[in-house]
Amino acid sequence: MTQTDAEPAGSGGAVTLPEIRRQRSLWGDALRKLVRNRLAVLGLAITGVLIFGALFGPALAPYSYTQQHLLRTAELPSADFWFGTDEIGRDMFSRILYGARTAVMVAAISTLISVVLGMVIGAAAGYGGGWIDSMILRVTDITMSMPSILLAALIAATVKQPVINWAKSVYEQTGFPLFADVTWLDLVIVFGGLSLVFWPVYARLIRGQILSLREKEFIEAARASGVPALHIATRHLMPNALGPVIVQLTFSFSAGMVLESSLSYLGIGIQPPQASWGNMISSNIGSWSYRPWLVVVPSLTLAIATLGVNFLGDGLNDALNPRSSTK
Amino acid sequence: MIKYFASRMALALPTLIAVLFITFSLIAVSPFDPVKMMLAAAEMGLDNAENVARMREALGLDRPFLLRFADYVQGLLAGDWGTSINGQRDVWRMIENGFPVSAQLGLAAAVMTAVIGIPLGILAAVKQNSWIDYAIVAVTLVLRTMPVYVLAPVLLIVLVLQLKVMTVPRGWEGVFNSKAILPILLLTFGPLAVVVRQTRQAVLDVVANDYVRTARAKGLSDYLVVARHILRNALIPIVTIMGFVTEGLIAGSIFMESIFAIPGFGSVSEAAFRGFDYPVIMGVTIVSSVLVILTNTIIDMIYPVLDPRVRLEG
Repeated sequence: MTQTDAEPAGSGGAVTLPEIRRQRSLWGDALRKLVRNRLAVLGLAITGVLIFGALFGPALAPYSYTQQHLLRTAELPSADFWFGTDEIGRDMFSRILYGARTAVMVAAISTLISVVLGMVIGAAAGYGGGWIDSMILRVTDITMSMPSILLAALIAATVKQPVINWAKSVYEQTGFPLFADVTWLDLVIVFGGLSLVFWPVYARLIRGQILSLREKEFIEAARASGVPALHIATRHLMPNALGPVIVQLTFSFSAGMVLESSLSYLGIGIQPPQASWGNMISSNIGSWSYRPWLVVVPSLTLAIATLGVNFLGDGLNDALNPRSSTK
Repeated sequence: MIKYFASRMALALPTLIAVLFITFSLIAVSPFDPVKMMLAAAEMGLDNAENVARMREALGLDRPFLLRFADYVQGLLAGDWGTSINGQRDVWRMIENGFPVSAQLGLAAAVMTAVIGIPLGILAAVKQNSWIDYAIVAVTLVLRTMPVYVLAPVLLIVLVLQLKVMTVPRGWEGVFNSKAILPILLLTFGPLAVVVRQTRQAVLDVVANDYVRTARAKGLSDYLVVARHILRNALIPIVTIMGFVTEGLIAGSIFMESIFAIPGFGSVSEAAFRGFDYPVIMGVTIVSSVLVILTNTIIDMIYPVLDPRVRLEG
């Protein structure tokens, strides 16, 4: 797309012209543009709160996510229960905080796995060329020809039970304490499904960047003037290739949160009683007409969280794209 | 053109076979065992190990994996897509009944997306960095960010409970029935932001070019500049995005149709995933992938029509 022919980061050889680099660096420019963009600053703030909630949620939550207040079920928000209680008397605020942890963990880990996979495979395709390149392209074609929610759901729905059976048999044979409780396997399955959905995007992105940057004049110029290969890679290739990847990171982060919720909504992601915004919506959607807040609270949380991350991504996209004009 | 289409199809076929193979392998490791299920359904205490083994042999399920895969593909080609676990219905029939409904919804939503999205995108670009730009980008992004299963109940709460302007739309009575308005709008909201953002970016990219500056300098009105120079070049990314729209519609209808009780393709998928109905899961995955592959091929064929600089290769 637009990112593939980004212009050089530091104009000319950064080594020979240090005073130009001091005046304007790509990252300094980007930061200035980002701070000037109000939506992006808002996005940054929301993302900050989200990550804070995910890290310290259990410490902040007034109750446990499973604790039931059986005399006070399905209450409206009050001083005791900030977001009300659900139909079996669990505090919605606490569950939202634990859900934030689930969402951020799933989004962060699956994004990390897919970006590492995508970078390695994409670099192999870009540098390897020939049959390696065309084989990798075919594989990304295949993965991308399945709608992402269907692919993730297919993996979650089919692989989960065999993996759980395997973990149980491992526990029976070895007594390995890690496999005593298999609820965390839900997360692993979701990580796997989402990573498989996301990696082709990164592989293509990196491959495209390598192919287009390798032939650019400023790289050629650096090579001709005897700049060491490592220096070219770190000072010229990386800064130019990194922008689109960072932008894509934010988008897969928010897509990861939504996909996790969708899978949980369909009942094949995070299983109750584990808190996930998706299964909170799913379990309360039947009573939307007489207990609307039970649906509205997790819905709006999910919407605001993804929105914040997306705003940040949009701001980064504008800031890191040297071609986008600003006033 | 025809030659190009043929070569694209020649590439699409292996992709499709790979998709089939992946789904088949995944189903093969799934906990679904048709033999045990059939014997358990007979409720005669027949599901002991010996009977299971005998039945498996009779059905050819003890044969090597690849042979079974070949059988399955042969079955697909002959129109035998298997039988659903829940309700023992023919999978192809389920898809065949649901698909036209979803296709109508999807087409209506695609038209709406283009009709609303392209003008909004141009407006946002022309008024770049003004409050109009911010508002358009923010509102469409809000609508996109909310999954259908978030937006639908929230809209229902506002429209039905608070404003009381409508009753809960349930069921399907054709695309021009008033019941279809809310579902179509909901399907539009998903891809709308992508179309708006791409149009906006495309227009901004084109505006930065010298020939547009020349056109401005010559004294052409803003309207003429947009219509003559910007829009034609900006159409290319919009066409690319239509691919995402197809995917968005498939995914969106999964959640939307179950909420509004619309008997379409999405309802079939949703029920299949909820009930772990593996034969149906496989059917809907295959149909969706075929749709995506076809859309991508068609998009690549439209490129050269819009932009003579792009040549068909193949």
